[in-house]
Amino acid sequence: MADFLAFLEELRELIPNFDELLSHLKRPLPTYFRINTLKISIKRAKETLRSEGVEFGPTKIPEILRIERFDAQRPLLSYYLGYIYPQALSSALPVLALLPKENERVLDLCAAPGGKTTFISQLMNDKGLLVANDRKKGRITSLLSNVKRLGITNTVVTIGRGEHLDLPYRFHKILVDAPCSGQGKYRFDERHGTIKYMKRGKTNLSAIQKALIKKGFDLLLPGGTLVYSTCTLDPEENEGVIQHLIEKRGAKVLDFSIPIEGCPGITEFRGKRYDEGVRFCKRFYPHKIDSVGFFIAKIVKE
Amino acid sequence: MPKLLRNEERELILSFLDWRFGIKREHFTDYDIYAFSRQAFLFRAQGENFTFPKGHFLRCGLPFMRDVAGHLKPTTCFIQKFGDLAHKNIITLGKEELIELCEKGELALDKNSKDIEGPGYVITKLDGHVLGVNLLIENRLLCRFPKALKETIKRLKKSQ
Repeated sequence: MADFLAFLEELRELIPNFDELLSHLKRPLPTYFRINTLKISIKRAKETLRSEGVEFGPTKIPEILRIERFDAQRPLLSYYLGYIYPQALSSALPVLALLPKENERVLDLCAAPGGKTTFISQLMNDKGLLVANDRKKGRITSLLSNVKRLGITNTVVTIGRGEHLDLPYRFHKILVDAPCSGQGKYRFDERHGTIKYMKRGKTNLSAIQKALIKKGFDLLLPGGTLVYSTCTLDPEENEGVIQHLIEKRGAKVLDFSIPIEGCPGITEFRGKRYDEGVRFCKRFYPHKIDSVGFFIAKIVKE
Repeated sequence: MPKLLRNEERELILSFLDWRFGIKREHFTDYDIYAFSRQAFLFRAQGENFTFPKGHFLRCGLPFMRDVAGHLKPTTCFIQKFGDLAHKNIITLGKEELIELCEKGELALDKNSKDIEGPGYVITKLDGHVLGVNLLIENRLLCRFPKALKETIKRLKKSQ
């Protein structure tokens, strides 16, 4: 816990309302449901959820509901019928930044368990081609199950290390939702003096992230766009990775607009200056959006 | 790797859906049907020169149809997505009947609906929601829901 607090202190000047963040991290995160409009209209889904005793409120994204109250012990038919996907609000944002459209060719490089994949297909109206890849067999089972439950027909699921993926085609749009340290999910457990949802291990995440984003960029069609996202606050896993892509591939970072406002990317950290374009990246802090913290960058291959 | 069904194999499946449930073949114009892992999959058509990625391939599209003891059986996920297009061989059950079906594995039906055309799979609905297919033999409805759905429905009893 001390290490994380020390790390957060380094970001104190860069995070708006920093003390508010510290108190927010002591509270549990709210639940959100995304309505799967491939199977049900928003209106009918709301009626069905109400009949199942779920109380909810709106968010700035029409398909996503903020759940105020529901009995977790009570089975929700809405879930088993594929009407809803429980998903953090911020987890939907990279897909909105990607802006997938009908009949495009889209790749989700690190797809499991499928929250973003199924939302991409939803925005494509289940038309075109969506390749959903992941390297972990255990996690792919959830991906397959969610694709099936949500009734998706335009998806090819592949298994393999994203950075070594060999595909016979190039894509209009690619999502690289990279494995990360997950600091955006951290919550303080004051009773035990620990951090909940903290990942263990000494994997060189930044090296994996750099390899993944380069592979994603190489698989783009000319003029295609790539969205890189993580659920972490660490600039070395975020702006540092974008900087690497700019240096290695001459990529251009795009500004983008989505219904929920983010803070600009950090252009300097621990004495390292990043390219000015990195300010177009967006940081979504947990206390500002009442959800998991996220980082999103949108990149074009010119 | 998945194998694209020949026209006559495709026609066999689509004519079954039309004959049994009144789901017209026109609804599937934009889809290809592939055989893979002893099942048929419904996959959004990608054009003539499309190839699947070799080496990494795991699955495509939505599980569509299975051969069960020599008879075609639509998968639950397919019927939940496309079942609203059907207009015959549909049974609407009340919550109590549904729970009994899942608990006992079968349900005696005393109603004779003009929309039921003899024994075979019937689409089962609750409050207008398509849940899946079950097997109707004489006046008995045999539960064919997947285990997870069956367990969910059984748990509805406790939460009533």
